[in-house]
Amino acid sequence: MTPPTSGIGAVVLLAVALLGFGAFAYRAVKLYRYLRLGWNEGRTEHLGRRVKDELVIYLLQRKLLKRPYLIRGLAHAFIFWGFIVITVGTTDLLLSGLVGLRMPGAESGFFVWAVDVFAALVLASIGLAFVRRLFFRPPRMHIALDGYIILGLIATLMASLLLFENAGLAGGLLAAHQTPPPLAQLLSLHYPAGLAAGVFAAAWWVHVVTVLGFAAYLPQSKHLHIVTTLPNVFFRSQRPRGALRFIDKIEEQETFGAASLRDLSWKQHLDGYTCTECGRCSDNCPALATGKALDPQKIVLDLRNLLLQEGDALLKDPTAAGTPPAHQFASKPEELWSCTTCAACVEQCPVTIEHIDKIVDMRRYLTMQEAAAPPEAQRAMTNIERAGNPWGEAAATRGDWADGLGVPTFAERPDAEYLYFVGCAASFDRRNQRVAKALATILQAAGTSFAILATEETCNGDPARRMGNEYLWQTQAQQNIETFSRYKVRKIIASCPHCFNTIANEYPQLGGSYEVVHALQLVQDLIEQKKIALGAGPAETVAYHDPCYLGRHNGIYEDPRAVLDAIDGVTRMEIEPHHRERGFCCGAGGGRMWMEEKVGQRMNHRRVEQIIDAGKARGGQPAKVASGCPFCLIMLDEGVGAKGIQESLKPVDVLELVAARVMRDGAPKGATMPKATL
Amino acid sequence: MRFLVCIKQVPDSTTRVKVAADGKAIVTDGVTWSISPYDEYAIELALEHKDQAPDTVVSIISVGGPRTKDALRQALAMGCDDATIVGGDGADTLGPLGVANALAAAATELGPDLILCGKQASDDDQGFVGPALAEALGWPHVSQVTKIAPSAAGTEIWKETDGGHEVWKAGGPVVLTVQKSAKEPRYPSLPGIMKAKKKEIPERSVAGVDDPVKMVIVALEPPPSRGGGKIFKDGDTKAHAAELATLLRDEAKVL
Repeated sequence: MTPPTSGIGAVVLLAVALLGFGAFAYRAVKLYRYLRLGWNEGRTEHLGRRVKDELVIYLLQRKLLKRPYLIRGLAHAFIFWGFIVITVGTTDLLLSGLVGLRMPGAESGFFVWAVDVFAALVLASIGLAFVRRLFFRPPRMHIALDGYIILGLIATLMASLLLFENAGLAGGLLAAHQTPPPLAQLLSLHYPAGLAAGVFAAAWWVHVVTVLGFAAYLPQSKHLHIVTTLPNVFFRSQRPRGALRFIDKIEEQETFGAASLRDLSWKQHLDGYTCTECGRCSDNCPALATGKALDPQKIVLDLRNLLLQEGDALLKDPTAAGTPPAHQFASKPEELWSCTTCAACVEQCPVTIEHIDKIVDMRRYLTMQEAAAPPEAQRAMTNIERAGNPWGEAAATRGDWADGLGVPTFAERPDAEYLYFVGCAASFDRRNQRVAKALATILQAAGTSFAILATEETCNGDPARRMGNEYLWQTQAQQNIETFSRYKVRKIIASCPHCFNTIANEYPQLGGSYEVVHALQLVQDLIEQKKIALGAGPAETVAYHDPCYLGRHNGIYEDPRAVLDAIDGVTRMEIEPHHRERGFCCGAGGGRMWMEEKVGQRMNHRRVEQIIDAGKARGGQPAKVASGCPFCLIMLDEGVGAKGIQESLKPVDVLELVAARVMRDGAPKGATMPKATL
Repeated sequence: MRFLVCIKQVPDSTTRVKVAADGKAIVTDGVTWSISPYDEYAIELALEHKDQAPDTVVSIISVGGPRTKDALRQALAMGCDDATIVGGDGADTLGPLGVANALAAAATELGPDLILCGKQASDDDQGFVGPALAEALGWPHVSQVTKIAPSAAGTEIWKETDGGHEVWKAGGPVVLTVQKSAKEPRYPSLPGIMKAKKKEIPERSVAGVDDPVKMVIVALEPPPSRGGGKIFKDGDTKAHAAELATLLRDEAKVL
């Protein structure tokens, strides 16, 4: 079909196109300059992985198609794929309208079909989106006029496309050799004599002008994500998810953490431009769900808004720092301290926004620059400094849990294959000492060569780092790394996911690289290789609670489940729907273990309710809830205690269940363990 | 306004103290040293005033061996302005009156408007140096202080009493010994820690300080270890109650 742009038409089109693209470019340049206020973080390592991310996350829309969001995810995917196809068509329209050139393949039957099919799918998806916004409003979704404008524009685009195709066909404007647009052909619209050509021209112009209007509107709106998602996914962090950003040469820095928008990297600002305000992060945030001040979507949008507000002033005066993001509002510190770094938000974000990094960068400012961490957090940090553990227990008693168990120290057995890094919780907390003893029992039964560091071990630093005290983390980590080096440690077992995560994913930042396993991974291997045999036990249902730093942060979902499944008599129960990557945090991560939880419902109480609800849904309550994390265990213990159901729902560590049944010399070792253990 | 806070370095409360082989000292190997907790509250009290009135100068002083500098740096990191160590031979073994005299000599030169000490050190719990310092300087002294409000007209002082507090007022220089208060001592900022690392700590010599009363430790012994608890299980509740009463009277001696 020949575009209706002969004579003055082409000039008008050129003017409109220049206006539309000009408005886009003007705003885009401005946004880019704001973005470059951020510091210059290199994000180009691991090119192969980045290309793969583009394919999987961007083109295949992998993160949109998640369990609870399948239908709307598909609707989005159709709009997105349609957008790609139709953008080629739009380019073709503009080119042919302006200079009479066609895009290669634009006249092929395949392409004509594709345009039509996707136009119809997009239109249907837009309909779905409208209905959802109007009648099934998702509670966390930020509904604003912006969204309706965008949906309206896209609907106009698709409708006008099908209309001008149909009118063009009716008016006989299709050349004989051209494939007729298949779906447009099906529309049985009747045009009064001679009007078809007029409708074709009108619809064509509406379509093209809408495209250009869209271009102008785009960078003013959250719909900018259609441009920024491509780079945002490409430049996403390739650090392990559980690793926070390392501050190199920390002693030489002038300021610490995000004192200013300039102290956030350009990628953090790109995140802000890319946020689609879909609310999935908020939907899954345990802090928000239990009534805390934190809302992960707001964290992202606040930073973006601050950048848009103060960007010009910061560009004008290179010495200006602007408002510290951690003090954007009076309530901001409370928002920041409510985070458990559970990564539910990061897991769900379809456009790979990095919420935790922003929160920790702002916490770093509060803690290191301003010394304004909450008092309980300050106490925990002082304790780590002075006693090497956040509880302030006497460092000299760190190895006491192992007295009389025949567990050697590295000083006694320097040739041990594995270091069991016990961690503060299992060293000092009475409840968790039983977990350390359980692991020792299992390892001894398997004949695994291992030793502990006892008083030579010190806190791995994880709580300090997540409270924003990078300096204390580095001090602690360095001290441990020196000890590991002294004993030439190569393999490490951790029964605490936080120890596991920081040693496996973060110690390499300081040059400490080891083969690190979580105890449940090792136990799974031992069972599989038949190095331990498990005796018979009573039939019972055990719910599995995913610790955030095993599951979401390190992708260890299967091993603990496999261990549970290998235990005789145990029927594993999933805490649906809050399990696996949607597991609900116990409330103790991110250093929250040592801070009071005064606002809203306690997260561990909510978690216990979820276990009960999941039990109801399957028609029977579990007798136990098993986890693989000392903090989860403490929180769950407190949770069932507060609800008065500690007799009917017992929190345990999976290791304890294994240890109770592990056979030694043909008899279950567990038989000799004190009854109180289980 | 100038504050002088006198601090003492003690084994940290998380350290497990062991008596040395000679039975007259503690084993210092493996001990974490820190500022005595009440002294930390005294520092916090001074720094809180500095937060309100930034022209306030908070000076820190301590008597002791070279290791004492770590405690002083910790105080500097918290935000104190300058630190002085009274050291040299014999600084470690000075008697409490000697320490008070050493501090008084230094205070006379430093010229503070207000002196703060913890109400007692957590290692020997004597509570002697503060009042003795006031005596040596001829200044008044208020104990059990939880809050201060200095002004040009004098200092309002909250003194904790049984179940309440009294408000005292000092028209001039005064020595205050500080009780635990609601505001926990602050954790230092990282710029504070970095600055403290580089700060010069001038040393005054302890030589020539009048130390009239020498104290000699005759013997040290650890507190008796706590025995395991007793649990009454199964059986007759009345009999348990009777047995419990007997034990509380004869063994625990609390009845």
